[in-house]
Amino acid sequence: MHELDPVATFRQEAADLLEELEQTLLDLNANPAARDLIDAAFRAMHTIKGSGAMFGFTDVATFTHDFETAFDLLRKSGAQPSPRLIEVALAGTDHIRALIEDSAGTDPVFGDAILSDLRELLGQAAPDLHDAASATREPVSARPAVRYGLTLRFAPDVTVNGTNPLLLLDELRGLGDCVVEPLLDRLPPLGELDVAECHVGWRVDLTTDKPRSAIEDVFMFVLDDMELDIAEQSDASPLAPNIAPAPARAATPAERADAAEPVVAAVPEVASRADDRGSTVRVQAERLDRLMDRVGELVIAQARLSQLAHNRREPALQAVAEEIERLSAGLRDTAMGLRMMPIGTLFARFRRLVHDLSGELGKPLEFVTSGEETELDKTMIERLADPLVHVIRNAVDHGLETPDVRLAAGKGETGLIRLSARHIGAEVHVSVRDDGRGLDLARIRAKAEEQGLLTPGAPASESELVQLLFAPGFSTAREVSALSGRGVGMDVVKQTIEAMRGHIDVTSAPGQGSTFTMRLPLTLAIIEGLLVRVANGRYVIPLSAVEECIELDRRDDQRSAGRSFLNVRGALVPFLRLREAFGETDAPGEHQKVVVVAAGQSRVGLVVDQILGHHQTVIKSLSRLHADVGAFSGATIMGDGLPALILDVGQLVGGRARPVHGDREAA
Amino acid sequence: MMASVSGQSTTRVVMLGLGDELFAVDAAAVREILDPVPVTRVPGARDFAPGVINVRGSVIPLADLRVRFGMTAAAATADTRFLVLEIAMEGDPSPMVAGIVADKVYEVTEIEIPSPDATPRVGMSWPADMVAGIALWKGDFVVVPNFTAILN
Amino acid sequence: MKTILTVDDSPSIRQMVRLVLTQAGFKVEEAGDGSQGLAKARTQAFDLVVTDLNMPVKDGLSLIRELRGLPAYRGVPIIFLTTESDGAIKQQAKAAGATGWMTKPFQKDQLLAIASKFLGA
Repeated sequence: MHELDPVATFRQEAADLLEELEQTLLDLNANPAARDLIDAAFRAMHTIKGSGAMFGFTDVATFTHDFETAFDLLRKSGAQPSPRLIEVALAGTDHIRALIEDSAGTDPVFGDAILSDLRELLGQAAPDLHDAASATREPVSARPAVRYGLTLRFAPDVTVNGTNPLLLLDELRGLGDCVVEPLLDRLPPLGELDVAECHVGWRVDLTTDKPRSAIEDVFMFVLDDMELDIAEQSDASPLAPNIAPAPARAATPAERADAAEPVVAAVPEVASRADDRGSTVRVQAERLDRLMDRVGELVIAQARLSQLAHNRREPALQAVAEEIERLSAGLRDTAMGLRMMPIGTLFARFRRLVHDLSGELGKPLEFVTSGEETELDKTMIERLADPLVHVIRNAVDHGLETPDVRLAAGKGETGLIRLSARHIGAEVHVSVRDDGRGLDLARIRAKAEEQGLLTPGAPASESELVQLLFAPGFSTAREVSALSGRGVGMDVVKQTIEAMRGHIDVTSAPGQGSTFTMRLPLTLAIIEGLLVRVANGRYVIPLSAVEECIELDRRDDQRSAGRSFLNVRGALVPFLRLREAFGETDAPGEHQKVVVVAAGQSRVGLVVDQILGHHQTVIKSLSRLHADVGAFSGATIMGDGLPALILDVGQLVGGRARPVHGDREAA
Repeated sequence: MMASVSGQSTTRVVMLGLGDELFAVDAAAVREILDPVPVTRVPGARDFAPGVINVRGSVIPLADLRVRFGMTAAAATADTRFLVLEIAMEGDPSPMVAGIVADKVYEVTEIEIPSPDATPRVGMSWPADMVAGIALWKGDFVVVPNFTAILN
Repeated sequence: MKTILTVDDSPSIRQMVRLVLTQAGFKVEEAGDGSQGLAKARTQAFDLVVTDLNMPVKDGLSLIRELRGLPAYRGVPIIFLTTESDGAIKQQAKAAGATGWMTKPFQKDQLLAIASKFLGA
């Protein structure tokens, strides 16, 4: 498959979406009240329909439309899907899959049967897709040129939302012979003039063979907010009186058929694809590491080659250099992609687990996941599976109360388990949150004393008690659940996470639930970075943490000598001069910048000398020799082959590395 | 990595000069010897490991044994080389890859490494754990460094 | 060179937008949802933003609203893609600060027409 073929991309995307949709539907079956599942199902259908129509899968778009409508209805009415509807939707998912794989070989009878089932369920005929598709293109036909007199007056704030009246006038000029003259009668006195506002109107004399609707189309996005008079003129006559713009013309059936025509014909290699899908090869992670290193060397050698070829100015050499550049970039992307997987593949596995747990323990619950697209090294994903099973099991088993207890506590019967993943700086945070009773510190203490982990009556802080959860042999479980399976305890969870150089944190509030957060470093991941310069050094700030970049005001700079807060539009943001933090002694340049970064609720401004731009950052971990340097989470290799360090925003903002400000971290 | 501490057999080593001293590094631990490459400074790092370098797509730390052994670091000359070492570290299944600076690399040779007990303690101003032994080579004393301790 | 940001959770749509606009001589950056789009827009100036409405994490309407709230994005055209035929969503998007819209499915020419409409020929 050619990499730059959007149709191929759509097929892959649709396959993923269908799988996700199927999972969502299954989950909805268990939790029909979960609104975000309905949203997710709707979104998946919406995307399949929209992209399908774009890439010539008209039958897919037509078929999916009715399902999208059905779920949109659920979404807006707040109703719950019936088991029967989910069943029909699952059948629909299968049918869409068949249509994408082999449209011609799919009997429309199946599709029609499914749709008629759906309509029966909804008790109404779903609106026809063809009414939804709209096209604004004009049929090309020769027509006599007509002279129009136009008067245009825009709303004063027209430019704020991105409309440029001058470009619209240019567009009018494209329609035919045009004479434009400005109308200055509404210009306010100079003293009241706001340069951002548009008070100029225009009179346009346009002779065109295009229909009136073509003129209206030029202004289609601002039609409601402007005055537009279009008067057809017999050649010598003065302007006709105001004629209100006609409503936008509805497309004719012929044009619609035209618009719906496939952009690209379906490729007849569907059968082999269906076999290929899902086939995988297991490769030792170490070999992938070596591959990455070799690719890194290649990219750097290629950069040198390109430089040489550029200097020699020899066309043949340059052509080869460019070819190699293209090839090595492709190879690099492929090699990087090999190790990275969205964590969603793992999350999907837990749906079944939670479903079974809920039934077994008699605790109705809603299982919500987010951040599935967060990419993580594949080996780490695999190693995370067991710890997560345990933590989730723990949350359902011990965290959530039984329905009667919940009701007595004034909560809803249905518990909530939230599994989420996200990039925070150069870490991935995976957390499991429940809305149950919270940690019972008294019970933890009792258990620890009983197990001899704590001297009876010895003082212990809350966080010390929480840490006991991870002590070997510690378990507050009153009975061993059938699901605990391999005998994994929280101590093993902690060990596994720490073996990946990660950390596990617990926060808890009585009656409100607990959150277990696993913070994992990215040994090999790609992030978008902002490349900055501090003195002679280049550093990468993870873009996901960057809120904004501003100039360091000179007054702020001087005034801040005694304090370390910056006024960002009225909010006080503590800042850190990276020059000072990095022990650079020479004086900074004139135009220092502040990169405002955020982690969690805290924000910090990092003062840098220069912002160099974006950088696709392959994260390499730092060795043990530099493990004690808190400010950096890793390094990357720049185009010129030099390593650059990646700032650990979590450390800088949270003040774990240095006392930046007094933000307190949860235990 | 110190293959022989018995004092009986010989070990293949890379002989290098640091300041006025000679050092013998187990050849089995040396992955490659490079001409100096640009070093990226790591702010806040300890003096003897001030930066990182790119070696074939990997970012590895560069250690300066001269700082560790209390010598003054001279500027790079035409003879300066970087050695890339693989050192087994306690409690870590995979060895650490690190670079060290050498003022000059002489040759690869076989020497007899005496047992640590045979190392004279007197007259040595260096931390004892960083020295695995003192050997003789062409009539000169040669330091056999203990990288596991040096790089910890 | 004019730079365009395409924000869509559908990789195939992004790829199509990228292909068409790159061939037309524009530079195109991609973002997979509203919050990624916002993050990019905060650190890089774009001449035109083309965004989907229905997206996970942060939807198109919130993206448009937040972009318009940034001083740097006053006056920058923001186009949204929609399959909805009803005018309500267009009104909402316009109220949020959108400049215009394009109805899916759209053709290459329509995309080019929109780009030249807001960026000049």
